[in-house]
Amino acid sequence: MSTLDELKEVIINGNAPAAKRLTEAALNQGTRPGDFFAGAIIPAMDEVGRRMRECEFFIPEVLIAARAARASTEILKPLLAGDSSVRPAGTVVCGTIKGDLHDIGKNIVAMMLEGAGFRIVDLGVDVGPEKLVDAVRREGADFVALSALLTTTMVNMKGAIEALIAAGLRQQVKVMVGGAPVTESWAQSIGADGYGKDAPAAVELARRFIAEAARGMSAARRGAA
Amino acid sequence: MTSRERVNLAVRHREPDRVPLDLGASAVTGMQVDTVYALRQALHLDEPGTPVKVMEPYQMLGEIKLDLMDALGIDVIGLGVPATLFGFRNEGWKPWTTFEGTPVLVPEGFNTEPDENGDVPMYPEGDRSVPPSGRMPKGGFYFDAIIRQPPVDDDRLNIEDNLEEFGPIGEDDLEYLRAEAERLYSNTDKAILASFGGTAFGDIALVPAMWLKHPKGIRDVEEWYVSTKIRRDYVYQVFERQCAIGIDNLKRIHDVVGERVTAVFVTGTDFGTQNGPFISPGSYRDLYKPFHREVNAWIHRHTTWKSFIHSCGSVRALIPDFIDAGFDILNPVQCSAAGMAPAELKREFGDRVTFWGGGIDTQRTLPFGSPDEVRSQVCERLKTFGAGGGFVFNTTHNVQARVPVENVLAMYQTVRESGQYRR
Repeated sequence: MSTLDELKEVIINGNAPAAKRLTEAALNQGTRPGDFFAGAIIPAMDEVGRRMRECEFFIPEVLIAARAARASTEILKPLLAGDSSVRPAGTVVCGTIKGDLHDIGKNIVAMMLEGAGFRIVDLGVDVGPEKLVDAVRREGADFVALSALLTTTMVNMKGAIEALIAAGLRQQVKVMVGGAPVTESWAQSIGADGYGKDAPAAVELARRFIAEAARGMSAARRGAA
Repeated sequence: MTSRERVNLAVRHREPDRVPLDLGASAVTGMQVDTVYALRQALHLDEPGTPVKVMEPYQMLGEIKLDLMDALGIDVIGLGVPATLFGFRNEGWKPWTTFEGTPVLVPEGFNTEPDENGDVPMYPEGDRSVPPSGRMPKGGFYFDAIIRQPPVDDDRLNIEDNLEEFGPIGEDDLEYLRAEAERLYSNTDKAILASFGGTAFGDIALVPAMWLKHPKGIRDVEEWYVSTKIRRDYVYQVFERQCAIGIDNLKRIHDVVGERVTAVFVTGTDFGTQNGPFISPGSYRDLYKPFHREVNAWIHRHTTWKSFIHSCGSVRALIPDFIDAGFDILNPVQCSAAGMAPAELKREFGDRVTFWGGGIDTQRTLPFGSPDEVRSQVCERLKTFGAGGGFVFNTTHNVQARVPVENVLAMYQTVRESGQYRR
């Protein structure tokens, strides 16, 4: 088994110390920092997502796997800073909506998206429209992911989307929403682009948007030709 | 038929004269204070501007007084020591106003002023010389814990640090419970649902220990969940000690309250998410079930109390284990979660467990539906869960803020009209 294969296994099993050790070992063997993602981290977190969907993994298993992935990426990130060949899948600005302080679900979504190769800008909890708009503009975000646990706060998601429209940023980002009381129909009614019932669904959604954008771009190119 | 008789029949899976009702007998079967105020006003129980007491500051639950219970036909009353999750007691009432502008009364220890962001911090024991342990965001309705997690050093972890809050019940509290149980039993005809505390293992609402000034051990929510995997033996040992202390306390409490109690709230640890169990059935059996079994076995061996478990979310995969561990009553029966369809739950488990809750969906129908949608769902739930007894009507968890009062009125009107059993 190659070191990257081993790394993938220990991430799935949530062994953070081993993930750190194997990342260092692979670097010493000459593996390029950019190769860890496609070679170990992304397939590992995809497998974690699959096991979560299939009810083989539950919240604690997902959390420890995400921590193991993070043990690896924390070593790699500084090494990737100057490497323009490694691009994130997209930038996601995420947060728990204004008035709401619950973050475990949002954190799991952020960890899974990060594990899938996205760049995460986590605004934390109680995120108001201004803070969101500023971050989307500053970070050049492709996605906004908003979470709510309360029936009293999910209504604030609508205000957040309206603020993006008012700031002229709505076309730039795809807005995904989730959280216990949030539903697909609610997401549609407030003008969100998508609803994720759990973290793997959020990853799937973000990937689908990217694929659609790529198809749209190639169609536009064909049109221009 | 008295309320107590009604509940006693229902939890023994027999049909009383009508479906019994709970509102406010526990911290998960109540109503947020703004909504209580609106309801009391709508029922003309108070002059406008009459404040409502906040009995549980963390979730800002309002007092359900006897006049409101009688107006709605409520059959259950709560028993517990008058301590709050912030460590101060429910005494020395003073006026406060919620962000909704509702006049309320809060205990003396509810000692706070908005911070520079307009958020409302809350302090353990009301002591503002130590860092706050809770926060209500500006414009919010509830408090949440502020995580105070000292750095975790695995080599120095000591189970005593996570056991600080568990100890022998004090003589004052015992005397309070004795007198209060006697008072509630003699002066009302309600069934008593008791919350003695100490037997919820790993309840994530309690892990941050908002009542402690300087909590030690593992107190961060995520760190705790992670610890159930990577520090499993540590968590198990904490539970083992907690269980021994909890059962000792139950013995002493039982000596003073006796059989005046109908049901005892054993645990509020949430084992479900919207989509499925929080943890695997295997983890439940490994880490929690042994202690649930031990507590319930003691209760069933020595008392007539029924054992009550609260767990939000989709717990269908765990219900057979809950029943096997000795629980008699399941709450809040979150039918909006995956796999929790009322008819299926009733068919599969209705002869072995009492559904205490599930009367209406508090995530969608009650806050966002029309009064007609409320009526229709309540009717359906009464029919489905009520058949053959084994049902105490309660909303799925507390009635939240910003629920239209017309919907609350429609709910109770429907229970009154359609909750009768045919004789």
